[in-house]
Amino acid sequence: MHVHSACVQRRIARGVTAMIVVWGVAVGHPSAQGKPRKQTAPETFSARLSVGAQEGRGDAYVTIRVDRYTAPKDIDVMEKALKEGGSAAFVVALKRAPIVGHIEAGNKSFSIRWAREKPSDTGRVISLVVDSPVYFVGGGVPGAKSREGFDTAVVQLTMDSSGLGEGRMAAAAKVKPGGATGVDIEAYDAEPVKLTSVKRQIS
Amino acid sequence: MPVRTLTAALIVAAVVAAPGAQSMTRPGAPESFRANGQILGAAGGAATAIHIQIDKYTSDADHAALADALKQGGNEAFVAALRKAPKIGSLKVGNRSVAIHWAREQAQGGGRRIAVATAEPVFFAGAGAVDAKPTAGYDVAVAEFTVDSTGLGKGSMAPAAKVKAGGPTGVEIEDYSGKKIELVTVSRNLPGK
Repeated sequence: MHVHSACVQRRIARGVTAMIVVWGVAVGHPSAQGKPRKQTAPETFSARLSVGAQEGRGDAYVTIRVDRYTAPKDIDVMEKALKEGGSAAFVVALKRAPIVGHIEAGNKSFSIRWAREKPSDTGRVISLVVDSPVYFVGGGVPGAKSREGFDTAVVQLTMDSSGLGEGRMAAAAKVKPGGATGVDIEAYDAEPVKLTSVKRQIS
Repeated sequence: MPVRTLTAALIVAAVVAAPGAQSMTRPGAPESFRANGQILGAAGGAATAIHIQIDKYTSDADHAALADALKQGGNEAFVAALRKAPKIGSLKVGNRSVAIHWAREQAQGGGRRIAVATAEPVFFAGAGAVDAKPTAGYDVAVAEFTVDSTGLGKGSMAPAAKVKAGGPTGVEIEDYSGKKIELVTVSRNLPGK
């Protein structure tokens, strides 16, 4: 359970996630994807979601289903919107993009409209953007900060070749232009949300 | 909306109890307790440590005034009266500390049943959900627990609640989330701790 520190505005420039966004163009072309990999969409991951703070700890189990990875042309549209129109335009473009998967937590389901994967030395790095916030971590504290503008959620998974991995999530996020990579992810969460025991389901 | 009546029973019991009922040979205020709070939802659960400090228990006269405010003016009058009541302790979760304005104890078996109320909410459980309902009107927090003669026990807590007159006992506690926080492994701190 997260309580008090939600009142603290925390802007997080998540460089790695931002890079994933930028990588979207580069790795989107077939020539950059390299040889076909055994593990790709459609695929499903299970994960344990954990938030820890001085006030307590919360855990939940989520299922992430990626039906397909976002086409380069759709990535281009969203990146252009972000660059030219900022956060608001990005959200509009995101919500117009095709649904490529879902995140399920409890009895709730959230639509993924941005899904990218990039090969790494040990497996893959997968980035996902949801077209709505999943949860406002710290939003239950009296006097919690405004939720305005936190219209998306961003997930990053680091998977090894055997289908195991870890990750992190901005459960309510604002995607903004800026920073070294051109993309900033500002998370509402006052504490980082970690994804542990991430496992690719065997189909 | 789920309505909790556990604490209500204590409130009512305290009203009808004779003034001497608070005079006990058991340990009394000032005293403090630690508890582990747990709540489970559809997708998972959360746990937190809670510290309750009681400097003194509410007198019968002050309690009667609060009960009368609730009976005559409902939740709004009750909250107003509670805020005017003296601070007699604190309920702390992490860095967040909220003043206790009402505390009662009642003998039960070989131990005690203790209830405390704050004049502001401690936490809106589940309010981080995208489709969470409004928090307005849930202006107090109520915790209730039992401890045995050794100071160990369990209980429950409504971290954001609305108090209403009504129901079989005359008092209803409606908590924001509809799910109570279980207080497990409640323990009375040794003096000086």
